[in-house]
Amino acid sequence: MSVRALAVGRMGWRWRLGRQPALVIGATILTVFVVAALLAPYISPYDPIAQDIEFRLQNPSWAHPFGTDNFGRDVFSRVIWGARIDLQIALLGVIFPFVIGTLVGTVAGFFGGIVDALLMRLIDVILAFPFLVLVLSIIAILGPGLGSFYIAMALVGWVSYARLIRAHVLVLKNSDYAIAAVSLGFSRSRIMFRHLLPNAIAGSVVFSMSDAVLVLLNGAAISYLGLGVQPPIAEWGIMVAEGQPFITTAWWITLFPGLSIVMLAFGFSLFGDALGDALGVKE
Amino acid sequence: MKNKWMKVGLVAMMAGLSIGTSIAEAAGVLTIGRREDSTTFDPIKTAQNIDFWVFSNVYDVLIRVDKSGKLLEPGLAESWSVSPDGTTYTFKLRDAKFSDGSPITGEDAAHSLLRIRDDGGSLWSDSYQVIDTATQGEDTRTLVVKLKTLSAPFLASLAMPGASILSKKGLESMGAEAYAENPIASGAFKLKEWRRGDRVILERNPNFWEANRVKLDGVEWISVPDDNTRMLNVQAGQLDAALFVPFSRVAELKKDPELVVTQDASTREDHLLINHEHGLLAKKEVRKALDMAIDKQAIVDTVTFGLGEIANSYIPKGALYHDDKALQRPYDPEKAKQMLADAGAADLKLNYVVNAGNEVDEQIAVLLQQQLAKAGVTANLQKVDPSQSWDKLVEGDYDLSVMYWTYDVIDPDQKTTFVLGHDSNMNYMTRYQNETVKKLVADARVEMDPAKREAMYMELQKTAKADVHWIDLYYSPFINVTRKNIENFYQNPLGRFFLEDTVKN
Repeated sequence: MSVRALAVGRMGWRWRLGRQPALVIGATILTVFVVAALLAPYISPYDPIAQDIEFRLQNPSWAHPFGTDNFGRDVFSRVIWGARIDLQIALLGVIFPFVIGTLVGTVAGFFGGIVDALLMRLIDVILAFPFLVLVLSIIAILGPGLGSFYIAMALVGWVSYARLIRAHVLVLKNSDYAIAAVSLGFSRSRIMFRHLLPNAIAGSVVFSMSDAVLVLLNGAAISYLGLGVQPPIAEWGIMVAEGQPFITTAWWITLFPGLSIVMLAFGFSLFGDALGDALGVKE
Repeated sequence: MKNKWMKVGLVAMMAGLSIGTSIAEAAGVLTIGRREDSTTFDPIKTAQNIDFWVFSNVYDVLIRVDKSGKLLEPGLAESWSVSPDGTTYTFKLRDAKFSDGSPITGEDAAHSLLRIRDDGGSLWSDSYQVIDTATQGEDTRTLVVKLKTLSAPFLASLAMPGASILSKKGLESMGAEAYAENPIASGAFKLKEWRRGDRVILERNPNFWEANRVKLDGVEWISVPDDNTRMLNVQAGQLDAALFVPFSRVAELKKDPELVVTQDASTREDHLLINHEHGLLAKKEVRKALDMAIDKQAIVDTVTFGLGEIANSYIPKGALYHDDKALQRPYDPEKAKQMLADAGAADLKLNYVVNAGNEVDEQIAVLLQQQLAKAGVTANLQKVDPSQSWDKLVEGDYDLSVMYWTYDVIDPDQKTTFVLGHDSNMNYMTRYQNETVKKLVADARVEMDPAKREAMYMELQKTAKADVHWIDLYYSPFINVTRKNIENFYQNPLGRFFLEDTVKN
């Protein structure tokens, strides 16, 4: 029996795509943002950081669909350029924890015993701290900036992935095909990464979508607190923070980047749910 | 000094605050919302407005600054005389009492002055070193102060809130720590309760010598850190008054018929510090070019919404010896760029330390960054927590940073010493060095002829400007808002509130 055939059999989900409205909507939202981010230099009507004090705090109009902020910068252009940064945050903020967590989880699950015990206690220690507090502390030590944010996410965020993968690996390593692979004398790394991991990873992929939502919100929150993206770069979180003093007089500075965060998070969430259904992953 | 970590808690606290702030108290108690809570009632251990503004109405001083902020008037000392050589001052004290009923004597006054000079915890000891001896005179209502040298700003320095009169007996029996928590008052109000981090509750001091002038039954200083929440609280009638109205809100609040927005002239000046010790910034030409690359009018328009005014001198407008005709370099980014190139400073890269969480600071930073870019200067913004930014300035780990100064004393000597006098703080962390200026500052301090002294300060302002010791940005008023039933809510240019005159109808 080919292990590979089994895996492909479980993953034969393409035909189901069209029947998933959530997936279509989620994918559409994500696509819109990705396209906006990629084409930002071509579709944004103004330079996102160019100030024009004469036209500051303008209401939304045809010239400025989302209005202008207190420096006369075009909010629409800033939202478009902000998509670049926020998508990057969602992507990089998920990839590093995903990779680290997957490796650790697989190793812990496969070897068990003392290795497993040590790694799991380490995870317990990290989980004992409130997530945001730990992230903020790490950033405070490293200094503000997106680099610090990614490092902090990588250091803290991997634990969920590790637990998820470990649980799957624990089950799978006693399955027939895994035992067969062992009896065939395959190397440990081959069994781990070519036989167990592909079957264990679906849950993590789905989880990464909902994790992207959290990472995005955290990234925006960190920038809102002044610890992430530094001005004058356009990023949604920092735009919300900069617009806050004007919220009662110029709501548009805060509303549009805020809505963008919500929409993108919504997109990831729908996409993740639908992907989970399609892959047969139960939350 | 609102900081980022506070903002973290703030998000969670917002809901709590809007509910938690007390509903308007019984008539006669004035509730004032401000950004932060007090830190101490020990006048010598703080230099912060948040403390000064509260205990100015709890402690009285020997000599007061009047409402205009320009003149001295009798406080606890009803009169004084100076010896012919100008170094011995004899003060006649009023028949006044502390809040515990004991009389205010020359001994209390002498002890308070010696304490600010000598106490290890005093932040102000440098400014009072000129005092040689302070003793009670022939009776308990006389104070004699001998100075080491002549001192032009001496009388004005007695009006500084740090030189408030405390009870010597109280300090000795309670200890300074306990006194700072539970002060024996010599002013219009006494402390009833202090809920740390939340509010200071004051009540009328019946033993105050001017007690019949006080109309309010009490005052509550309530900390409401978020600007928008604080304004909403006044609009909703949950607070009678709020301080620090953001510039951006003034126009809108003025439209509310229930509110009165006050703009009281202040001695506040915001300026851009330059670290003279960092590479090319040591060159006067480079600093001049930076001055010319900055469009102050744009800052006034954008950040202060036209409520501020371009600053041309470190001595604020309206203050003693302010030079109206001080040089104002024109905004000319092209020329600035050329000057930088000539000075070998093309492609200048500067590290700009910004106080995170301070909206005005952050806005100025974004604006300046763009302006400097037009002159070919790259400013890297480094947002740091305010407590950290101060350390950075002290250590010299910065190129540019915006700071502000409000007078504590009406005499220009205090700020001048701090900014140009080569004091212990490296000329307000700029590391500016000019021996001629240093000497002139010292000379002006002992020059007793007002006309000569004025000329010296004019000279100082000219030289400081020519050397670009820092870049003057703007002057701004104190902006507060009250409900319309509040009368005589007033701050003088030094920031003192005259709550003894405030009426709540």
